[in-house]
Amino acid sequence: MYAWIFRHLPGNVFWRVLQSLVLVAAVVAALFLWVFPALAPYLTLLEGDPAVG
Amino acid sequence: MGGVGELLITLGVVLGLFVVWQLWWTSVEATAQAQQVMQEFEATLPPANPEPAELRTDDPPVPEPVGYGETIGTLIVPAWYGLTNNAMPIAEGTGMDVLDRAMAGHYETSQQVGDVGNFALAGHRRTHGNSFRHVDTLEKGDQIIVETATTWYVYEVTDHEIVTPDQVDVVAPVPHHPDEKPTERLLTLTTCHSLTLGEYGNDHRWITYATFVGWMDRADGTPEQVR
Repeated sequence: MYAWIFRHLPGNVFWRVLQSLVLVAAVVAALFLWVFPALAPYLTLLEGDPAVG
Repeated sequence: MGGVGELLITLGVVLGLFVVWQLWWTSVEATAQAQQVMQEFEATLPPANPEPAELRTDDPPVPEPVGYGETIGTLIVPAWYGLTNNAMPIAEGTGMDVLDRAMAGHYETSQQVGDVGNFALAGHRRTHGNSFRHVDTLEKGDQIIVETATTWYVYEVTDHEIVTPDQVDVVAPVPHHPDEKPTERLLTLTTCHSLTLGEYGNDHRWITYATFVGWMDRADGTPEQVR
């Protein structure tokens, strides 16, 4: 999958590496800003509600 | 075959990123939000008199209750200087929307600061600013200080215990005796704790009790342990 994406990016190797980095950064940003905050209430092993009751 | 391997590696990386997000990024966001609340609160106050002053031991003024999410004051734990975000805002309520902003949340069912009874606060142990992360470093006699618009309230740690999350009686006016009439002025901190994972877990609650030792008008001076 990743090899396929890399092959189909335009430009020489330098540009394709640069575009790959931008894509990775975009995916990480989407995870941090939207996906993880939405999942956090269901993954409370590390930290959940610190109140009693 | 290669596709399955890539999928599994991706899953592993995403799980790793989730831990990074929870332990690091939530605190970056929450600390910024708490600092903004602090600045807005401090902007409404006259500057405190920085001179040290004697603690008064007569009956302290008790503030009026505020609405959910509104700022009550500031929590300062001198033992946590250099370790964590001191001072942090105290807001009304213990919902996640309050606590996730690196604030201490006041149990709405508990008493007001300075009042006879229990001024009970909840805060995150890890993540979202690590508000009460170092609760385990507090020893008997360590001060816990609350600053409101007009008054400093000084409490001293008396004891701690580790309980299961359903033990709501720890925030009763007389902890563990919900039907008794209170005679003392207490402050209680509650935060996450795990018997197996320590500060990283969530299966128990760490409860720290403190008792009132005195107060000071902000116009008269500042408690000497406040920096």
